[in-house]
This record gives sequence, C-alpha cells and structure tokens, in this order.
Amino acid sequence: MGKRNTIGAAVLLALFAGLPPLLHNHYLTGVFIVCAIDGIWAASWDFFSGLTGRENFGQALFIGGGAYAAAFLNGNFGLNPWFSIPAGIAVAVVFALLVGFPTLRLKGPYFALATLASAAIMQQVAINLWQYTGGSEGIYGLDTLIESSLGFYYLVLALMVATVVVLGLIARSRWGTIMRAIKGDETACQAAGINVTFYKIASLAVSAAFAGLGGVLFAHYQQAVTPDDFDVFLSISVIIMAYVGGLGTIWGAACGGILLNLMLELMRGLGEYRLWVYYVILMVVLFFMREGFVAPLWRRLRGGNA
Amino acid sequence: MLTVLIYGAVTSAVLAMLAVGFTLIFGVARILNLAHGAFYAIGAYCAYSFTALLKLPLIVSALLSVAVVAVFGMAMERVLVRPLRRSSLAVLMITLTVALTVEQVLFIAFGSQSKNVPAFVNFPINVHGVSVDGQRLLALAIAVVLIGALWLFIQRTRLGSAILAVSQDPEAAQYMGIPANRIFTIVMGLSAALAGAAGVISGPFLSVRPTMDQTAMITAFSVVIVGGLGSIPGSILAACIIGYSQTIVAFYLNPEWTGTVSLVAILLTLVLRPSGLMGRVVNA
Repeated sequence: MGKRNTIGAAVLLALFAGLPPLLHNHYLTGVFIVCAIDGIWAASWDFFSGLTGRENFGQALFIGGGAYAAAFLNGNFGLNPWFSIPAGIAVAVVFALLVGFPTLRLKGPYFALATLASAAIMQQVAINLWQYTGGSEGIYGLDTLIESSLGFYYLVLALMVATVVVLGLIARSRWGTIMRAIKGDETACQAAGINVTFYKIASLAVSAAFAGLGGVLFAHYQQAVTPDDFDVFLSISVIIMAYVGGLGTIWGAACGGILLNLMLELMRGLGEYRLWVYYVILMVVLFFMREGFVAPLWRRLRGGNA
Repeated sequence: MLTVLIYGAVTSAVLAMLAVGFTLIFGVARILNLAHGAFYAIGAYCAYSFTALLKLPLIVSALLSVAVVAVFGMAMERVLVRPLRRSSLAVLMITLTVALTVEQVLFIAFGSQSKNVPAFVNFPINVHGVSVDGQRLLALAIAVVLIGALWLFIQRTRLGSAILAVSQDPEAAQYMGIPANRIFTIVMGLSAALAGAAGVISGPFLSVRPTMDQTAMITAFSVVIVGGLGSIPGSILAACIIGYSQTIVAFYLNPEWTGTVSLVAILLTLVLRPSGLMGRVVNA
C-alpha cells in the first residue's frame, strides 16, 4: 500500500461519506445508495471473473437470489429484515455451488453461456411461478433496514468498503495468487498439486456471497423485488462496470460501478437519448481503453509503477 | 399433430438461419458475436421501414433490407471488432454494446410498440387439411434455400474453400496467400445477411419490437451450444431439436415456458457434453 494510494482512498471515502449530508437531498441520497450497491456488485464480479479470467455472465443469478431470499423472508413471512442479510448470502452461495460444480470445468465462451443461461432460467421461473413469486410484478412491501435514508446510505457505504477491503485482501493473499495462476495456466496449477476445482468453486462462492449481500440491500432499498433482478441486462451492466473500472483490481471495479451510475444520473437531462449516449460512450471507452478507465487513470496520476 | 409438425418446422427453419450465421462467424474467426440478435432486429425493422413507410415493393425492400444488414455487419467487423480481436472479452463487450446501442436507436426511432411487417404471402395454404398461413411456409422455403445455398457456396466455390481453410488455421491460410482478414469481413457479411433475412421473413408473423434481438440472441446461442460451436450441420440439427421442443411445449404445455426450453437445453448440453452434439473441442 503506497502512501498515495492511502491518501487517494481516504479522499474518495471522505467525499462519499460527506457529500450526501451536505447535499441534503433525499433523491440524491438514493442515487448514492444505488452507486454503492453497484460498487459491491462490480467488486464481487471482478473478484471471481477478473482474477480467474472466467467471465461470469450471470452475476444476476446471485443478486436475484439474495433479493428474492429477502423478499420471501421479510415480504412474505414478515421476518425481521436483518435476517435477510445472512439468508440472502446463504442462498447466493448455494446457487454458486449448484452452478459452479457442473459448469466450472468449462472454459471461455462455454462458461459465460452456462452462467447466462442459469440466470435467465431463474428469471423465467420467477415469472412463471407467479403464485409464489408474484410473477412479473414481483414481491413488494419489504421493510427498510434503517428508517432514515441517510442511515441506510451509511450502512451500504460501510458494507461496500468492507466488500472492497475483504475481497482486496483475499486477492493479495496466497488464494488470490492461485486464482491469478489459474487464469494463466490451469493445467500447470494442477500439475503443481493445487486443487484447482476447490479454489474455483470457493472463489465463485465468495463472489456470490457479496453479490447476494448487494441483492439483499437492493431489495430492502427498493422495498420490492422483480424478476428484473435476475435479468441478463443486470449481469451485463455489472460486467461493464468492472471492465470500465479495470479488470482484476477490485477497488477499480467498485469505482467503475459508482462512476457509471453517476454518469447515467448526470445524463438524465438527455431524456430518451440518455441510454443511447451512454452506450456510445461505453463503446468508445471499450474501444480505446482496453485496460479499463479508472484503475489505469489512477496509476498514471499517481505515477510510478503498479 | 400435423400442425405441430409444420409449425415446428417453421420455427426450426428460422432458428437455423440465425444459428448458422452465428456459428459460421465463430467457427471461422473465433468471434462470439453478441450483436447477432441485433442483425436480426435490424433486418425486421428495415423490412418494416421500406415496406410500410417508404412503400417500396416487397421483393425490393426484402433485398434492400438484407443488403443493409450485411453492410452493417461488415462495417462492424472492420471498424470495431478487428482491432480488438486478440482479446475475447473485449470482442464480447464491444459486440454487446453494439447490440445495446442498436436496441436504443430502434427504440428512439420507432418507439416500444410492436410494428407490423406486411406479409409476402397473405393467404392461408392448405396442407393435408391443416391451414397454415402462407408467410410461414414461405419462411420455411426461403430458409431451406438460403442455408442450402450457403452450404454449396462453402463446399463448392473457391471463396468457400478459402473460408474453410481460414477456419482450420488462419495463419497457415495466410501463408498460402489467403487474406484472412478479408475472409473474416466476408463471413461476417454472410452471417449478418442470414440473420437479416431471418428478420425479414419472420417479421410478418412475429412482433417486431426493439427488444426482439434479446430472445433471438439467446435462442440462437442455445442452438449453437447444443449443436456445437462452429459446426454448421450441428446447428441445423440443434435448431430442429430446439424448434420442435419449443413448439411442442407451446402447444401441449404452456407458451410461457417456451423460453425456458432453450435455456435448459444449454445447461444440459454444457453439463453432459460441453462440445455440443457435433462440435469439435475448442480451446478457448
């Protein structure tokens, strides 16, 4: 940890902690809450896919799993909303194990497609089993975790920082080294006596746990869940955030999530052209900045080597 | 029973058109083109604009639409995909953003309601006591002809041999004097033209709306996975399997579950036989 990294993180954190109370605007606080949740999702995606190089196109499976767990327990059965957090994480981890065992031996496009398909199947199930899931309307009437929106924001922000720190620490540990080695050459890892399957599945489960946590927070923030929580589009947005942030950096991915969300919010004035402009900007970023935007920019600003 | 047989054949044929183009560009250039569904949507919207808005004759607008989609596909390959081709994730992302951008452009230009493309054949045709609307039979016929023509083109012509050579080993083909990059562009054009044609001929009996590319994309994906990435006969076979399963589910169970069929097929294939029915093993 360089000195400048610490200063940079502190400034950013101070900005995010200080801005919402200063602005004192309910709507903007909501925007910041969504930013932080997106940060959690992008960091969780980057942890697995950025480090192991296996692109997961179904992160929404874990997000939706967490969100629906919250909706069932709190919305349908009226349990205390704080139970949602462990339950949502547990459901997401179970999904990760169910998907991970059969699909993680697949490589490249095959793994991407398998994950994409699993999330899409769950979305269909959530729509078609409307007796239990409310169909395409979803489930609403969830309690919020903390009454004041500013309080909720600080909870989400704290959890986002915790996510980035925990995942970042794992990424720097021996475990993270093994994940990067798997990205480089899986066969060589196996030959070196590393239990590749275990590390892949465990990493996916960790990634899912944090995505599920984000899903729970999102469900309680919206006080509703819809099948869109499983949508391909959500998975893809998460990937784009991590890509723009800089793959494999985790903190960069989280910043990418925040940045893209703020950008989308700033373009609200463009009306129906908003998404179009957003996609065109994305295309330009993807095309000219193949390493992403946030992390490389910081490296350049900070100077020196990575 | 006969109804299921005929409707299943039509669904399978349209699926096959989508999947063959998708698998072709993957097999030859290793490009997993997530904008393939967008080609299909552009085809359908072109057909709508040329016929309903510009009042051009049907045949002319059909050919024009296919040409527009082919040019769009070639331009995309040349400008956006080629510089990024070394990274498979970058290709996925850029084609994806192309798809999203196209969807938004269609949404802004045409709105979210579904549009009607006039049918080429307006009358029902009686097949052994089952009345089928003519457009569906025409779609079936055109699909069979186009896929057959593509097959002959690849197997019999000089350019086709060049395509096969590049698909086996781009570098070796290059040494033999085959311009691999130009082949990629041509194949992308062919692939886009097929998807566009699928959009044009199935437009009249589907709802043409900006989000139509997503379902098309996912179904084409599943067909290609089941058939084996890169294998044309595999995707035709898989198109029939999935087309018929969808039709059977829609007829005997519930139309709501048709979307799930292809997804379950993807998962089953990936778990049981990842290289697909007729795929070669791909080292990604």
